[in-house]
Amino acid sequence: MVDTNGKYAIETFALTKIFKDWWGRNKVVAVEGLDLQIRRKEIFGLLGPNGSGKTTTLKMLLSLLHPTKGKALVLGGDSRDPKINSKIGFLPEESYLYPYLNARETLDFYGRLFGLSGKIRKVRVDALLEMVGLEGMANRPVGTFSKGMARRIGLAQSLINDPELLILDEPTSGLDPIGTKQIKDLIVELGRRGKTVLLCSHLLADAEEVCDRIAIMYGGRIQRLGAVGQLLEKSDKRQITTDAVSDEVMRKIREIIIASGCDVKIEAPMEKLESFFIEIVRQAQQQKRPTSGAVNRVDLTDEDITKTVSDVLDRLVSTDLSEAAKIEIDSPLKVESVKVEANEGLLENLTATVEPVKIEIEKVEPKQGQAEIENERDKVKEDLLDELTGAGEDENA
Amino acid sequence: MRRVWAVARNTFISAMRMKTAMVFMLLLIVLLPLLCVNSSGDGTIKGRLQSFVSYGLGLVGVLLSILTIIVSCYSLSSDIKGKQIYMVATKPLRRFEIVLGKLFGVLLLDGLLLLVFASVIYALAIQMPRMVNIEQGQTSVLQNEFFTARKALPMKFNSEEIEQAVKNGYTKLLESGELDESRPKQDILKELRNNEIFKRHSVGPGSMVMWEFDNVAPSDANEIIFIRFKYDASQTPADNNIRGLWYLGDYRQIQYGSLEEMKTPIYQMGTKKITDTIHEISFPANAVAWDGYLAVVFQNEPMNNTTVIFPIEDGLEVLYKAGSFSGNFLRVTILLFLKLAFLAGLGVSLSAWLSFPVAILCSFTAYCVGTIHTFVIDSFTYMSAATTILYNFTIKPFIWLLPKFDGEYGVGDYIINARQVSVEFLSVAAVLFLAKALIILAIGILIFSRREIAKITV
Repeated sequence: MVDTNGKYAIETFALTKIFKDWWGRNKVVAVEGLDLQIRRKEIFGLLGPNGSGKTTTLKMLLSLLHPTKGKALVLGGDSRDPKINSKIGFLPEESYLYPYLNARETLDFYGRLFGLSGKIRKVRVDALLEMVGLEGMANRPVGTFSKGMARRIGLAQSLINDPELLILDEPTSGLDPIGTKQIKDLIVELGRRGKTVLLCSHLLADAEEVCDRIAIMYGGRIQRLGAVGQLLEKSDKRQITTDAVSDEVMRKIREIIIASGCDVKIEAPMEKLESFFIEIVRQAQQQKRPTSGAVNRVDLTDEDITKTVSDVLDRLVSTDLSEAAKIEIDSPLKVESVKVEANEGLLENLTATVEPVKIEIEKVEPKQGQAEIENERDKVKEDLLDELTGAGEDENA
Repeated sequence: MRRVWAVARNTFISAMRMKTAMVFMLLLIVLLPLLCVNSSGDGTIKGRLQSFVSYGLGLVGVLLSILTIIVSCYSLSSDIKGKQIYMVATKPLRRFEIVLGKLFGVLLLDGLLLLVFASVIYALAIQMPRMVNIEQGQTSVLQNEFFTARKALPMKFNSEEIEQAVKNGYTKLLESGELDESRPKQDILKELRNNEIFKRHSVGPGSMVMWEFDNVAPSDANEIIFIRFKYDASQTPADNNIRGLWYLGDYRQIQYGSLEEMKTPIYQMGTKKITDTIHEISFPANAVAWDGYLAVVFQNEPMNNTTVIFPIEDGLEVLYKAGSFSGNFLRVTILLFLKLAFLAGLGVSLSAWLSFPVAILCSFTAYCVGTIHTFVIDSFTYMSAATTILYNFTIKPFIWLLPKFDGEYGVGDYIINARQVSVEFLSVAAVLFLAKALIILAIGILIFSRREIAKITV
């Protein structure tokens, strides 16, 4: 049924793409009977291994490929309609830029394609160059840029029109961890401002952190779709995080938990490599070490970075935050740490002999979804190996 | 339009920064001054000027044609191959706007380069007489025969009179019983028609032939009018020369009135000119009647003892001053630009659905066919006699689409002979070139609008 009340930003109906050979014979079924509804103002992740049909789906959504069967509606219409695609920002799987234009000219060119006036273009180009950390290289031809720098320009061009719908194909590909974090922050911020983001990636960690809902594709079909929290939730497990406590306290905790009939595993948490990396670069920047690459403002705190992204978006977009806040988001809650009230009885038991310790219980998304993917991947790998080695046939025989 | 302009601007920048245009510009910057210094022509200053300006414009035309083909064929095909088109086609502009933007970008490049280099040629041509010592007589020759624009009136036939003569000839053959009934009627009529036309262009020994011209309008009665002619002889004389007498004026005065009442003079001139070469003779312009009528009579002197034949295509024409060199130079430049516009349309259209090598091959083929258009048409016309239906519905429309860069569309003749490019001719050329380019472009747009832009990757 066609969405007539604008509930969905993207809607596909049995979308199918079959690549044919020169003789017109079916060669590869890239996407098969895809029925997808992406709600407005949600961050949606389209995940899957290489060749699963993600990019083909995006290309069909953007009319770069024609569906063999089925139909796709983007923002309620045909994505080839200028009224529709003037509200879309698109970043392809690689930043296909004109090598002879410099960074500023590149953004200016795309601004012109959106019919933006010179004044607006200038403001937005400056803001975007600042956001992607390339204001110092604004006059350098993009043909001389590294992949990551080109990616930043690609991302900047996708935002030049203050899009209502942002379609990002592998947005963090080729980016360093700082750039990756910035893009993730940006996506979250855009989502907060009521934009719809369709993120296509095979980097699961990226999608897990930012997406409201995800769909996992394989063989041109959606294998699983739902809210990240729901898909990854492991209701039979709990994780407790505390400050460093004495061995005595740990022993008591273990005893209490074992006494209640549960298994327990205690270990020192490790810092995330991403955070560690950012900290190292931050220290180098504080020492003012020269670099020929993009300059990310990692000398700022996470809050500052988020604020910077927010500030740039303020300069780019006209969306009123207060308005965005009023928008009822018809999607499950975003995946994030959920603080729960501590169990008073448990706390008393835990802290009977020692100084009370503030305990924060995190509801952790268990890796059930990932485990399923891995199982499936292993199965595919085994099938493939069987096929290659003929092992399966032998067994059958 | 703003979006189309953005694409056009980008195409222009691409051509300039990818150094394609730079190579051609450098070539012209080096070759034009060399041509200016080394042009010798027939040794006279007029010859040098004719040689420099015609070869100079020819060189600019050829190099810019090649540049146009390269840039236009590269424009869209490279965007598709390099996938930059993904980020353009997903922006709010229609596919035809992308194609138009590419076309305008190439036209902008052509227009600017043509303007610059045509200006250089013009400036050098104006300066050349000042750089050498020339005699007084040569100055007036230059002014009358080079630094001017002369309107050309070719000899014409009275087709009604010819058809009547053909009809009479056929009736005569029929009545006399000399008609070869084994031959088709159309063939006999065609032969009779050719004979009648030949009669009007050939003069037996001691005979005269007269051509009448209307609307001869020299700007001033004190100016000069020119008779430009070329003749052959049925039997070439020993010294290869034909002697003749030319009469020029209002023949009607002799026909209908007495000599005392003559209002315009009738001039006579004897000539001895070699065959199969173009010659020019000049007469005072006051020979032209008040209403623009002029009769030109040629008498084949009996001593030649051979029939003199004036070729139908370029046997004789009357030339008179009708404009300035600058104006004519501008029109010639516009004619050049129209050719480039056609090539740009063709290249962009092909690049919308063909790869760069294939598009450039097709464009170069079309360009080469254009430069030998007459030969190609003759070949196909000969073939068409046997396959009329197939020819009319397949090859003929295709041939019509092919460009025509030779004959009256060649720029050299206009410059060498100071022949004026008329506004009417220029308008017809513009309509023809643009119509063909638009049809070809429409085909490209249609294919580009319906094709899948993305590459198939699985």
